[in-house]
Amino acid sequence: MERSALEARPRSLLHPSFIGAGATLLIAGFATDIMYWDTSNWQWANASAWLIAAGLVLALIATLALIVDLLTGRAGRINWISFLLVAAAALLSLLNVFVHSRDAWTSVVPQGISLSAIVTILLLAAAVCGWKVTAVRTFAVGDKP
Amino acid sequence: MTHALFKALPALCALVTLTACDQGGDPMRQYGADPYLPEPQNYLLPPMSVPKEVGWKPGETPTVSAGLRIQAMATGLLHPRIVYPLPNGDILVVEGNSPGTTPFRPKDFIQGKVKARAGTAGKGGNRITLLRDADGDGKPEEQTILVDHLHSPYGVTYVDGTLYVANTDAIMAFKYSLGQTEIKEPGVKLADLPAGPIDHHWTKSMVASADGSKLYIGVGSNSNITENGLDVEEGRAAIYEVDRLTGAKRVYASGTRNPTNLAIDPETGRLFAVVNERDEIGPDLVPDYLTMVQEGAFYGWPYSYWGDHVDVRVHPQRPDLVAKAIKPDYGLSSHVAALGLAFSRGEKLSPKFSNGVFVGEHGSWDRSPVNGYQVIFVPLVNGRPEGKPVPVVNGFLGDDNGTVRGRPVGVALDRTGALVVADDTGNAVWRVSSEKSGQ
Repeated sequence: MERSALEARPRSLLHPSFIGAGATLLIAGFATDIMYWDTSNWQWANASAWLIAAGLVLALIATLALIVDLLTGRAGRINWISFLLVAAAALLSLLNVFVHSRDAWTSVVPQGISLSAIVTILLLAAAVCGWKVTAVRTFAVGDKP
Repeated sequence: MTHALFKALPALCALVTLTACDQGGDPMRQYGADPYLPEPQNYLLPPMSVPKEVGWKPGETPTVSAGLRIQAMATGLLHPRIVYPLPNGDILVVEGNSPGTTPFRPKDFIQGKVKARAGTAGKGGNRITLLRDADGDGKPEEQTILVDHLHSPYGVTYVDGTLYVANTDAIMAFKYSLGQTEIKEPGVKLADLPAGPIDHHWTKSMVASADGSKLYIGVGSNSNITENGLDVEEGRAAIYEVDRLTGAKRVYASGTRNPTNLAIDPETGRLFAVVNERDEIGPDLVPDYLTMVQEGAFYGWPYSYWGDHVDVRVHPQRPDLVAKAIKPDYGLSSHVAALGLAFSRGEKLSPKFSNGVFVGEHGSWDRSPVNGYQVIFVPLVNGRPEGKPVPVVNGFLGDDNGTVRGRPVGVALDRTGALVVADDTGNAVWRVSSEKSGQ
């Protein structure tokens, strides 16, 4: 049976864009934490709480997208370093959203802002791989499709 | 790298174990002038422990101590909070609830939903109902709506032909002659009170001075502990003195986080308050309190509690104000939500209650095991609260504290000496009288 060229073409991954969007929010949460630390203005802490909560929603969507990638054969091998970096960032952010649910100063300083800093470092490290935790499934040149 | 991870592990574990629900200790340690104060904690999960509202079945009532009897004076009300006997014996019931607050944070949504489980979301009537029980048998012959269309009312007081109602945003004055069962004439605004846009603690408690020339108003803070910013706390967490005729107002005492009820000692004319203290630093912090209010005094909120115990959640801190903060008179234990306050002089109800105050404890929402949900009596010695509290009305909780039938709020003594209790979750008014009175 001959397979069509369309089927053989590698299909783009769904999950990296959601990881990227979520990471943007979580890193922005670190920025607003710094602003709160600097100014004591409560609205910055408020912004952090929303950014981290929204970042976690995107983390959930990214997880679902990754499952779809794996099930539909879009994904190649899992890049474990990248996966662990992103997974650790998501779990620490889950912890962080609870720390940020405290009232006033201790919602950010010192534990909240420390967690945000760690999450930012992990996500920037994962960014080196383009925020994808799997390879794109490709066909080697010369393969008979 | 691995080494650093191992180092971070204990800190991380400590953080996670904080999610474990901390159990509160014996509340009795926190009644009196020198309550036990543990070290403050930082929670990971905001503590919430709320029994489910089930209401009263027909014929069910709260329970009372020996020698007393209890009966329903009124049922089917709309979130009754304050009971106020008029000089002619009529009893006013203020029915109101929060005007509604805007959630600012993801947490505010969740907390609102959890608290609503225990009946805090019940619709307020925004009105005052009048109960007339001329023969004093506890069964009102007449029940009318005295004033309607109020704006989250709470405090009410009658002085010299005028009925004053503390709406959440203003004191309103209504012309009123005793015996009147309906007020048609619209009220006149006497003074503005701090209200929106947040209005976190919305109740405005009110009492008239012994000579009737001044009104005292309790205004609660706009947050638990300044999480809505310091700007919105301007003029809040304070007790005001308002001139009854001109409406001129000044801060009488400050640093009182949520002064939910005020009363004047009929013997000395001194002003007393019950104040609800801050949440989320432990099941046994911070005790709510009963105190004689000292003019010009600062009671600590938000910077400190029980004198100079600093609250690190407030930033920037103010050591200068912490140094000024005074200790209140009498701890009522933590998170009981003391909302009712009434002086008791005389032995009509029982010789046990001849000299002291009744305190309505609405009940905790963020403590395990739950605390409050009762009316207690605190004895007075030389005009100051002293000694152990005596439980008077109980039975608001059911099923191992998993359900709640009603929650006591305002308390008052009527002209027969019976104790009247507003129940905002059971939507009832209860009357506790002496068994001997035969009524």
